[in-house]
Amino acid sequence: MAASRSDATSLPTFDGVENLITMTDIQKAFDELCVEEESMNGELDNLLEHQTALENKMSGLHKILPNLQILETDSKQLSSMVSFTSTLAENVSSKVRQLDVAKSQVTACITRVEDILDLKFCTDGVQTALQNEDYEKATGHVHRFRSLDENILRMSEESGEGSTLDSSFRLLQEAEEKLKSIVNTKFDAAVHSGDFASIERFFKIFPLIGLHEEGLTKFGKFLSSQIAEKSRGNLMIAESVTHKDKNANVIYAETATQLFESIANIIEVRQPLIETYFGSGKLFSLMKILQKECDRQVRQILEKFKLKRDFDAVVQQVQQNAVFHRPSATEKFDPKVLDVLLSEVVLLNTRTELFLRFFRRRAVGDMESAYSNDDLKEKIKEIDKFISNCDLNRLMQELIGNYIMMEEFFMREMVLKAVSMDTVEESSHTSSMVDDSFYIVKKCVRRAVSSSSVDGICAMLNHASTVLEQDFREVLFSRVRAGFPSGFDLTQAYNMVQSSIQQGKLQSSDQEKAKTTFLVAMNNAEVSCEYCKSLKSNIEEEVLRSFSKSSEQSKAKLQSCVTDLGNVAVRLKEVVDFGVSQLRSSAIKPRIKPLTDAFLSTSHNISEDDFSNYEANDPWVQNYILQIDNMLATFKSALSTENYDTFVSQVTTEVTFQLEKAVLKTSFNRLGGLQFDKELRALVGYLSSVTTWTIRDKFARLTQMATILNLERVNELLDYWGPNSGPLTWRLTPTEVRNILSLRVDFRSEEIKKLKL
Amino acid sequence: MDDYKYLFKVVLIGEAGVGKTCLVRRFTQGLFPPGQGATIGVDFMIKSVEVNGEKIKLQIWDTAGQERFRSITQSYYHSANALILVYDVCSQLSFDNIPHWIQEIEKYANTKVFSYLVGNKIDQINRREIPSHIGEQFAKRYEMKFIETSAKEAENVDALFYDIATELTKQAHQQALETDKGVNFKAHNTSTISSCSTCLRF
Repeated sequence: MAASRSDATSLPTFDGVENLITMTDIQKAFDELCVEEESMNGELDNLLEHQTALENKMSGLHKILPNLQILETDSKQLSSMVSFTSTLAENVSSKVRQLDVAKSQVTACITRVEDILDLKFCTDGVQTALQNEDYEKATGHVHRFRSLDENILRMSEESGEGSTLDSSFRLLQEAEEKLKSIVNTKFDAAVHSGDFASIERFFKIFPLIGLHEEGLTKFGKFLSSQIAEKSRGNLMIAESVTHKDKNANVIYAETATQLFESIANIIEVRQPLIETYFGSGKLFSLMKILQKECDRQVRQILEKFKLKRDFDAVVQQVQQNAVFHRPSATEKFDPKVLDVLLSEVVLLNTRTELFLRFFRRRAVGDMESAYSNDDLKEKIKEIDKFISNCDLNRLMQELIGNYIMMEEFFMREMVLKAVSMDTVEESSHTSSMVDDSFYIVKKCVRRAVSSSSVDGICAMLNHASTVLEQDFREVLFSRVRAGFPSGFDLTQAYNMVQSSIQQGKLQSSDQEKAKTTFLVAMNNAEVSCEYCKSLKSNIEEEVLRSFSKSSEQSKAKLQSCVTDLGNVAVRLKEVVDFGVSQLRSSAIKPRIKPLTDAFLSTSHNISEDDFSNYEANDPWVQNYILQIDNMLATFKSALSTENYDTFVSQVTTEVTFQLEKAVLKTSFNRLGGLQFDKELRALVGYLSSVTTWTIRDKFARLTQMATILNLERVNELLDYWGPNSGPLTWRLTPTEVRNILSLRVDFRSEEIKKLKL
Repeated sequence: MDDYKYLFKVVLIGEAGVGKTCLVRRFTQGLFPPGQGATIGVDFMIKSVEVNGEKIKLQIWDTAGQERFRSITQSYYHSANALILVYDVCSQLSFDNIPHWIQEIEKYANTKVFSYLVGNKIDQINRREIPSHIGEQFAKRYEMKFIETSAKEAENVDALFYDIATELTKQAHQQALETDKGVNFKAHNTSTISSCSTCLRF
């Protein structure tokens, strides 16, 4: 490389030696040549330096050269060997493949031969088995035959054995037909003779000869006849039961229960048999047949039930009475009879629901082990549709429909009766209608709950709400609305109310009667409100317990109806509230007002002497407390605890309201303020002693007024005001504070104005 | 619990097969499921709607039309805020039975109940037996509101329920106003009494 470059640079230089004319050109060429020489020398030195290394490498390469040749020949040899092996393997494997094909053909051939042998064996076996009446064996042969592929066997016909095969097939087909008819007739005969062992024996044969549905139908019919027979027997026994029997009142429900139990028992016992011989998913077919029989039998039981209990006549009477609403309706019925009848209807439905739930569970369970996903959903839908459309369900829906109508009638009539026979017991704040009515409502609703019919329960809950709101609450409300008469001689009137309640003397004057009626109605409403709440929570609990596994839809329905029943309590509370407002305007206000006015006539601008005189002879507060105490005492005995508390609270509110007004009309000096503070303490002390809750809050404004009226100087207020108020929350506005300060005759108005509040 | 201003109970009644369940399904789920079985007892759905920005919950009770469920369905009348009486415009029979249903309403329902007469299945143009004006006249006579619907084609279904929600909300507002007034009146009353007694004293 270096050489070629030096060539390339030197050539043009030498070519042009002749052309170098000027000295400068020569000098320049010379310089260039010098530089070139210099670099060439460098390169040469460089190469010389590496000479030994290069020589080493060269000699190394020379040594390797012969090896490379050996490698090449070896490689060639290997390659030829590999390709040889490959061809060999190819040859071998193709032979193996051929062998494989041959082998499978041989196996198929053997199977076919075996099949043909089997066929012959079956043909012979079937005949002997049939002759020996060994139907299981015959079925086994036929079943084996049915599993053979006829067409494949037919292919060997050409090979000469066709005619015998043909006859074998014919024979076996004939045998199968024969077997089918034999099994059918034998099964029928066994059914006819009631030979259970044979029935079971032939029942197992049906699925083996492809008669699944037929077998189930026949078996179902047989079981149905058994059910029918047993149920008829039970019904006969039921008919002959005397009144003395402890089950006499529910004998038809019991008969139906026996029917359900016997069907459930059959399903329980036969399910494994069907699963084993027929496979899963077949049980429902049998259950459908059994249910049809169940429908028939229940219809008969219900017919007898209606006949014996005069059901239709009772229903008709109730219907008519409900339409025309005769007041004497209850007299026509013995409510006890209706009571008994309703209990039996409820029991009938309970048992039915229980049975249908069992039915669904079993049918669905069987389907679940046979199907999945969409198929299963479809099947479950089919089951649900079957159940909701079955006669049993329909009959029960009709029965429940009638039951609801009668139960509602019973409940309403009994509540009306309880209201009309209302009496006030001695030593009781309430009258008999409360306990009686709630007892009835609770009884009816609970009976409905025990029927397990969701719609039935909802309907009765609705009716209960309606009855309590209309027939019960309205009565209380009208009594309270009549008002609390405010008489002329109040003290006397109160005392008489008290004595009339205590002695049960209700035939006193009209006014006292009216007062008692009012107070008792108020108590009734208050107690009913509590009863209603507890009825709601009891029923709620009971319903939640018995329907925990029901659909969300059913639970939501029940919850909504239960909540509505609870809301009746709110409507009852309205009656109480109305009563309280009546009492306040006609009893509390007119009584407290004149009492409080006595405060106005007591001077609070007093001297030292007056103050000590007041100490000895109290000017008004003791009398005030005494009067209030009298009033509270009379009402305490007449009002329920809850209502009494409300009453005291109302009295307290009125006292504070009136007293505040009175204070603002009075003038005070320092001692007067002190006097007022004493009076207020006495009053608060007394009222606290008669209540269970704290009343100090109600007196907060008055207490603060007393504090202000008790100040030494105007500016002292600032010790309690604003940032200095500490835990005290002022209920008085700055304007009110100034007003109260100005009630003190000894405070100067400029000073009050100057206060920064 | 989600927040709502009012909850109203709406009860659908009417002969079997006039399309009560379909109306409810159309409104609550936007579906028209053909080949529904007859309703058993009472079905129950909830749907929230908005009226003037207020959330209203409609609790819809879809009753069975079949006779044997009558005593169950009757129990729902009393607490209903609105009743929807449905007939089938293609069925003279379902229309002829309306007076009977109105009797039921008068007997069991609250006197103030808001009721709607609804002629359903107007999509069946060729099979119509009851002309619109006949239904309308009837509704007027019994002081009911009237609308014709098609649950199948979703015609007027939402309009029906929204109108009910709006009307009931209006009533509820009015009632709230009246109770307020009632309180005022009472307060006023008591003050007159006390002022009277002061008069007497002086």
